[in-house]
Amino acid sequence: MRKAEEIISKIPEGMYADVRIVEREAESIATKDGVVEALESSTSKGFGVRILKDGAWGFAASNDFSPNSIDRTVKLAIEISESSAKHIDHKTKLSSEKPVKGSYKTPVEIDPFTVPLEEKLELLLAADKAQRTDRKIVISQASYSGHKEKKVFASTEGALIDQEIIYCGAGIEASAAEGSDFQNRSYPNSHGGQFATRGYELIREMDLVSYAPRIGEEAMALLTADQCPTGEFDLILDGNQLALQIHESCGHPTELDRALGYEASYAGTSFMTPDQLGKMTYGSKIVNMTADATLPGGLGTFRYDDEGVPAQRVYLVRDGKFVEYLTSRETAVELDEILGASAGRHSNGAMRASSWARIPLIRMTNVNLESGEGSLEDLIADTEYGIFMSTNKSWSIDDRRLNFQFGTEIAWEIKDGKLGRMLKNPTYQGMTPQFWNSCDAICGKDEWNIWGTPNCGKGQPSQVMYTGHGASPARFRKVKIGVA
Amino acid sequence: MLGEAKLKEIAKKVLGYSGAQEVEVLLFVTDHGLTRFANSQIHQNVSSQDLGLSVRIILDPTSRKAPRGKRIGVASANSFDEKELKNVVARAEVLAKNQKEDPHFVSLPKPQDLPKVETSTEQATPEQRAEAVATIIKKVKEVGHGIVASGAYDSSLSEVAVANSHGVWAYHAAAASDLSTILLGPHSTGFGSDLQKDPALINADLVADRALKKVLDGEDPKDIEPGEYEVILEPQAVGEMMGFFAWLGPNARMYHEQASYFSGKLGEKVFGENITIVDDPLDEVGFVMPFDFEGFPKERLVIVDSGRLVNLTYDSYNAGRFKAKNTGHALPAPNTAGPIPLHLKFQPGIKSMRQMIKDVKKGLLVTRLWYVRFLNPRSMTITGTTRDGTFLIENGKIKHAVKNLRFNQSIPEALSDVVSVGRDLVRLSSFETELGTNQMPALHIGKWKFTSGTEF
Repeated sequence: MRKAEEIISKIPEGMYADVRIVEREAESIATKDGVVEALESSTSKGFGVRILKDGAWGFAASNDFSPNSIDRTVKLAIEISESSAKHIDHKTKLSSEKPVKGSYKTPVEIDPFTVPLEEKLELLLAADKAQRTDRKIVISQASYSGHKEKKVFASTEGALIDQEIIYCGAGIEASAAEGSDFQNRSYPNSHGGQFATRGYELIREMDLVSYAPRIGEEAMALLTADQCPTGEFDLILDGNQLALQIHESCGHPTELDRALGYEASYAGTSFMTPDQLGKMTYGSKIVNMTADATLPGGLGTFRYDDEGVPAQRVYLVRDGKFVEYLTSRETAVELDEILGASAGRHSNGAMRASSWARIPLIRMTNVNLESGEGSLEDLIADTEYGIFMSTNKSWSIDDRRLNFQFGTEIAWEIKDGKLGRMLKNPTYQGMTPQFWNSCDAICGKDEWNIWGTPNCGKGQPSQVMYTGHGASPARFRKVKIGVA
Repeated sequence: MLGEAKLKEIAKKVLGYSGAQEVEVLLFVTDHGLTRFANSQIHQNVSSQDLGLSVRIILDPTSRKAPRGKRIGVASANSFDEKELKNVVARAEVLAKNQKEDPHFVSLPKPQDLPKVETSTEQATPEQRAEAVATIIKKVKEVGHGIVASGAYDSSLSEVAVANSHGVWAYHAAAASDLSTILLGPHSTGFGSDLQKDPALINADLVADRALKKVLDGEDPKDIEPGEYEVILEPQAVGEMMGFFAWLGPNARMYHEQASYFSGKLGEKVFGENITIVDDPLDEVGFVMPFDFEGFPKERLVIVDSGRLVNLTYDSYNAGRFKAKNTGHALPAPNTAGPIPLHLKFQPGIKSMRQMIKDVKKGLLVTRLWYVRFLNPRSMTITGTTRDGTFLIENGKIKHAVKNLRFNQSIPEALSDVVSVGRDLVRLSSFETELGTNQMPALHIGKWKFTSGTEF
């Protein structure tokens, strides 16, 4: 923390500055077909200085903590802000936030870095092997990664915060092939499995080895399963697929920087424009979406964001209405200016940077669909005809977050309230507001789980962030299904 | 820049810290600057310097008489301090000692002659970047029409070096300057870009003019029914499609795992006869790379010859495992993606864009694709939407702009139905820009499957 204060002490009067010193440690293991094909340990350490001078930003970062390098980096950040200042019409202002002095450490039962490597290798190899229930399983995979991020934040306003964020995750994936058909099944989720800001207890709870045979058998069963039918049907999404649906169609469009056009050059803009705030009917009355960085164990959980603003829980969509954005200190002020409000809007603490070498951007924390009532079993029993889809396989959405298409690994037909035949290659597509307005049932708290998305991309230069999404299975009426 | 001599000294030290049977060290030095603009003003201006040190240790736990496979561990850090060099080697050794044997690993590459290449190491200064951005913003403001400019000017310099205990030494330094803009009108968007080795060659006027033409031509987009259309994909759109081809197409690992559409088709006709695709890392029109991330020399490789799949891409691991020739396509270890081509290039055709449009009776001109993902990797079917300018062509002429559409399209079906290949290749980023660029033409394709529309 002293180093951060030392860097801040080098900032000349008359400008805002903050510094982040970040030290990351990661361990990753991947097995394939019984062979450990990746075993890696990585570290990265550096600092980034953000300057706001005359209404323009400058940012410089370095891995070199020598006095000369610190001086050079601070000077470069100031020069960059001065260079930017010549080309701006609108001066950036920051919302007023109380500078915090604080400390936080992810509560974990078992620090993943204290677990012997041997145990992790044995677990993954056993889970890899257990998937191979038949010769048609052509690929079996298992993976694990653990991450520890220590970061110190200090600002010229007097904030001084240190945090240690720990997260880890694991998963398995079986691939079956016959002729030109190729089918995958994953557990507990696709794209690397399940991730959370928890310790190694999460990995043990997954019980990968016990689930592996079922995953292998399902991958094989998909080879002979019927194609998912095409048409407009009722759709029930499992929590792990709904998590990505929330991520893409609620999380991203409610990022205020995107809505204000700051991501137009890469990721796009948003159909949820400021003039719609408080007015747009985003979903049906049962749809409530929150951004909650305080949820224990969520992959997007922390105590302070990378501007030093405390973690918060806010409603983005309440009773179906679009009521709030994910915001930063800069965009909170800009939104007030656009809406003609003098409310003195505050940041809701969504600024996150992927490393010391990147500036913080508005990122999702844990963006959740709040639970409703009843069990998945009840929901299926209440559905005359429909399709139940689970585990994401493909995802794509347009650059204003309206037209989307998702594919899942597996689906089952629902007939007369009962799960029937297995279906392969399921897909569905729609337009975001119409889709969420067709939501007529959300399962209860017992079915609710926070799914981790460790690979959310945004920004230039690119930043990959880890976010969480709480969801329980939900039903959507008359969705366009099976159009691949 | 640290320079070749300094990096060689560091690599030598690292190799000396381990007594393992095989050791590989991969070094990166990066200097990166980026100026980003939106709503017609600069809103982000950043600079960062970093180092990368990655060490791969290979232990052979058995005698030659009873080989059991080798144990491999990789550790990395972002410092070249003496203490950190030793620490990374020690961490990689611990991992390798605790690792299980990999029966497929044969050996790290042995030393080979590397091709000589020339490239630029000039970077754009923050002032140069700001001036180029100001040129675009000024032009856009002059045009009016409620158009605002967004975009980025990215300037990067990389040094990459590879050494191993067999005596491999490879060093390369390169810079890239990449200016792009998306212009937002009230009902349309337009895209323009310029990717150069030297910032002095960046033409901000041209970037602005290209994007302005698109946004103005697209001002009043009309609804269009989804369905199958003849299309002309502009080079940017072709590049976005071919990124997915690179990953799952010629990748030897995917091929042998039965995960690729190409699996079992080596030597067979996979695309139309007018399609020839090479990986050309030494073509100085693109961003050259003389070796892969194992220090193995790169060379021109024909992948698809007149529609026939003739070669796959290999790294040392997969070449050893599948008893094939290493083609120099290793990515940094540990690599679970497989060997991937980073310098794809089409054999160009003879037609200009104007001539290609003239050939279309009724179809769509697509500027870019967006959010492309595999829908079905095994059939190489992708999905995504159009972006930044989609236009209806009727009787050889652009009639009007249309609203964006979603597509679900098999790449092999599209490349088996190419009416003509454009004559002009455009350089597009494929990896870390300064180390890899594809060269893509426009393609006139007989049928492209659009499945739904959107509201803009």
